[in-house]
Amino acid sequence: MKWGSILLGTLLSISALGQEDDLFALMDIPETRQITYATFKGTKIINAQSNETPGEGVLQYIISHRFGSFSNDYFYHFLGLDNAQIRMQLDYGVTNRLNVGIGRSSYLKVADGFVKYRLLRQKSGAEFFPFSLTLYSSAFYRGARYTDGVEHFLSDRLSYHNQAIFARKFGDKLSLLMAPSAVHWNLVPGASDPNTTFHVQMGGRYKLTNRLALTGEICPGSNLEYSDGSRFYTPFAIGVDLETGGHVFQFHLSNTNSMSDPLWMAQNPYNPWDGSIFLGFNISRVFTVKD
Amino acid sequence: MKKILLLAFFALAQQVIAQQFLTREATLSFDAGSPLEDIYAVSESASAVYDAASGKLGVQVLMTSFQFKRALMQEHFNENYVESEKFPKAQFTGTYEGGQAVGQLTIHGQTKDIAVPCELLKADGGLLLQTEFPVTVEDFGVSIPGAVSDKIAKEAKVTLRATLKKR
Repeated sequence: MKWGSILLGTLLSISALGQEDDLFALMDIPETRQITYATFKGTKIINAQSNETPGEGVLQYIISHRFGSFSNDYFYHFLGLDNAQIRMQLDYGVTNRLNVGIGRSSYLKVADGFVKYRLLRQKSGAEFFPFSLTLYSSAFYRGARYTDGVEHFLSDRLSYHNQAIFARKFGDKLSLLMAPSAVHWNLVPGASDPNTTFHVQMGGRYKLTNRLALTGEICPGSNLEYSDGSRFYTPFAIGVDLETGGHVFQFHLSNTNSMSDPLWMAQNPYNPWDGSIFLGFNISRVFTVKD
Repeated sequence: MKKILLLAFFALAQQVIAQQFLTREATLSFDAGSPLEDIYAVSESASAVYDAASGKLGVQVLMTSFQFKRALMQEHFNENYVESEKFPKAQFTGTYEGGQAVGQLTIHGQTKDIAVPCELLKADGGLLLQTEFPVTVEDFGVSIPGAVSDKIAKEAKVTLRATLKKR
């Protein structure tokens, strides 16, 4: 038995010597713990947040426009440019996981601030993990004057949005996202109207080339009307992502024209079947301020 | 007697194997910068192997192990230029002879024959492998869009420094 095992050992070492090509197999690097990168190009898909954040020390500026709807005297309003809505956002990557930012949207003069944190990251290789999870929390302040003749407190002007963003990159082309979300308004029209509504943000990206991708998103919610007769429609958007160096250009069609989350998610009054479709764009530019 | 013969055989086998040198901590960097943009990345986990008997030399690196100063540049490198998801590794396989490494270089899934000057020196207990050579980016099918062509060097300068240990 003992001799048998020695013989076996000898045979094994001879066979190892015999395979010269195995030399190059020796240098083979196992692909351990690969963090999945670039699930989405931008920190937003279109209106929705993606799971991405800027890297540490990166300052990002996003300017977005939503032009007037095709159904609203489109040519008279110079292809909708005359009644465009605008949003500006400035945000910063405190670490590779933590992102904080501020924004201002023209519709109802809403100012906002947000915190975004990458809790889990998709990984391949030995430490396989199937998806990314990013948490996003934001607060909004309505700056527009009230015209209802009632005296309003500061708290009336506030609304909030929190979401958990689950995302997965399937291969190098397809990425999908699902984000359970809660929107809370301190003030709603009637006592029977829900202050908090729940939404499921769904979105995706399909890369056509290394720098061009198709994107889409839809966000069904738990409430589509208020007691004052307001009727809301499920927001959706389709678009293209175009990337050039430090810029990401996103052009899209959607049935929303406001860009602060509680408004487009929970109170979107535009019915796409009436032709209320808006052309819009987001342009992001990043600046590395700390190397 | 049999035992001694076997021991001698093992010793011999050991001797032959001992002519192989290996590292998994080679420093491999490249510089594709221009006056407009500083593009430099380094990997500290390249592997290199050398067989003294046959002169065979191999080097391999995981594309995602290249560390850039800017996270976005690293993402673009992997996502848009070398397509690391499709082509995770770059490697050289060939031989070392007379101060030259001759063989095949594979980057971005494309293989080219190269012959570059290379130093292989005895260092304590092992070997020190050093080389520096230019790689023409387009030769390996990595396309650089017109908008950024001024910012990225057509030729990247690749530098390798590896301390190989006897295995």
